[in-house]
Amino acid sequence: MLLTQTVIQTIEENLPVLLPLFIIQLLLMITALVSLIRATSTRGPKWMWIIIILFLNTIGPIVYFIIGRRDDL
Amino acid sequence: MLAGLIKPTEGHVSLDDYKENDIRKHIGYLPQHPQFHSWMTGREFLIYAAQLSHLPKKEAAQKADSLLNRFELQEMKNRKIKKYSGGMKQRLGIAQAIIHSPKVLLLDEPVSALDPIGRRTILNLMEQLKKETTLLYSTHILGDAEEVSDEILLMHKGAVVESGSLDKVKQRHNVDKITLRFAKDTKKYQNILENLSSVIKTEYKKQTLQVYVTDPVIAKDEVLSLAVSEKWPLLHFEVGRTTLEDLFMKVVNEHAVADPI
Amino acid sequence: MQWLTLYKKECLESARNFKWIWVPLVFILLCITDPLSTYYLPLILESTGGLPEGAVIEIPTPLPFEVFMMSISQLNLLGILVIALITMGTISGERKDGVAELILVKPVSYFSYITAKWTAYMTLILSSTFIGFLASWYYIELLFGDLSFTNILLTFLFFGIWLMFVVSISIFMNTSSKLPGIVLFLTLGTLIAMNLGTTIFSTYLEWSPSKIVSYLPVLLNNGYVPEDLWFSSFGAAILSALFIFGATLLLKRREMV
Repeated sequence: MLLTQTVIQTIEENLPVLLPLFIIQLLLMITALVSLIRATSTRGPKWMWIIIILFLNTIGPIVYFIIGRRDDL
Repeated sequence: MLAGLIKPTEGHVSLDDYKENDIRKHIGYLPQHPQFHSWMTGREFLIYAAQLSHLPKKEAAQKADSLLNRFELQEMKNRKIKKYSGGMKQRLGIAQAIIHSPKVLLLDEPVSALDPIGRRTILNLMEQLKKETTLLYSTHILGDAEEVSDEILLMHKGAVVESGSLDKVKQRHNVDKITLRFAKDTKKYQNILENLSSVIKTEYKKQTLQVYVTDPVIAKDEVLSLAVSEKWPLLHFEVGRTTLEDLFMKVVNEHAVADPI
Repeated sequence: MQWLTLYKKECLESARNFKWIWVPLVFILLCITDPLSTYYLPLILESTGGLPEGAVIEIPTPLPFEVFMMSISQLNLLGILVIALITMGTISGERKDGVAELILVKPVSYFSYITAKWTAYMTLILSSTFIGFLASWYYIELLFGDLSFTNILLTFLFFGIWLMFVVSISIFMNTSSKLPGIVLFLTLGTLIAMNLGTTIFSTYLEWSPSKIVSYLPVLLNNGYVPEDLWFSSFGAAILSALFIFGATLLLKRREMV
């Protein structure tokens, strides 16, 4: 408990520094989701990709863009 | 090879006096299974194809729009090609092949993958297109070839075995025959016909009787008078008219005999 | 005119499939991860309590140019992986699914077809790298101290030549196979083999493109271009040109079998 509190406190203190990072990660996630929703076919089911994009921070969206999209060629 | 994608092993492809230039400028080509950039809209793809053929941007857009109208794709023109059906893709394929008004249009099996309605549309289009440009296409559906072609080349094992205008070729290989169809008792009449002096042989297939004769004029009279006097239950009577399919089988058989390999 | 049509098509494609959004974002993330984690390292160690009581944490704060080199190392590893992945299907994929057949029967020169693709990817990759550099520079100024922007620009130019070399290899490999996976394998394989060769024959291969990155710290710190950096950049440019011409010849051969 103490640990989580310290982490939260640290993040709060350093928000101006960390905010751009969070914004970029969020943008990447949103772009991936928009692309996923508009895609007509993906490798593997769509719900699986939604979970990957939402819960695997940064890596999820990248993996989706590289191997999840099928119909851009 | 003719489209400039494959280099000939021997000889060269020439087109009137364009031998020196890149012949691709004068050729429109549609492969058997055309693939597009499916992320583009139909209109975008046509403009892209036109610009690659050195049409200025404005002209390319005009040409694309007029072809989209002509090929009844105007409703789909701003939708992605991945949403198109097989028939629409085929029409788009022909549109991109003729967008630069080529001297020669090559179509590879243009209708083989289509449903009957799509096939009919494309055949009608081809009928129009052959008035505008030289249309060269391959097919193994001989009925289609007969319908649209003026001149034919029959290929067997990679070599041209017969060529010329459709009428001339047909005349050359004409088989004198009469085709008959009866309501009943076909076998009985087959025997009677075989005893006629002008008949060489008869063949029974698919409910009809093929009667091969020495002279179609005499035979026609003989058969018809018999049919009237004996009240034959005739359903169908046809003199001559070799179909391209008969012709093809005949030519290929002749070659198979001449060349046993 | 025709070249421009091909180039615009490539850029439009990269925009439609979101490459123009996600590649810059990923490059920014690659560039800022190390400056941030380096800055917060003492804090992280402290809060996880991984150190025994009374231990004195003595981690020297790296110099600004050293932190910037960390960003470059990230791009040099994961960035190049991303580059190889996004370029692996650009020609091979079009040939595999048959679009190339439709495009190359048009009176298109093979050289334009290849250079338009090459330029389009260079535009995307260099823009992304530049944005990534700016992001890294921002955090370094904020957290570590001053770093000359002129030196960063110079570094960008030379690092750009190295990336150009990578793109050229990938384009060349694109014409040698119709399978994007094979293209990826060949591209990365070539880069790794070159790296090994350069390490082993280091003294003879001062001009090897693989050495460009190792000359960058001097440039970044002093704003001075070492002689070997000129040589290796020159080597990279020549080899890139050879790869592009090779790709044109190979495509001509492959398409006109």
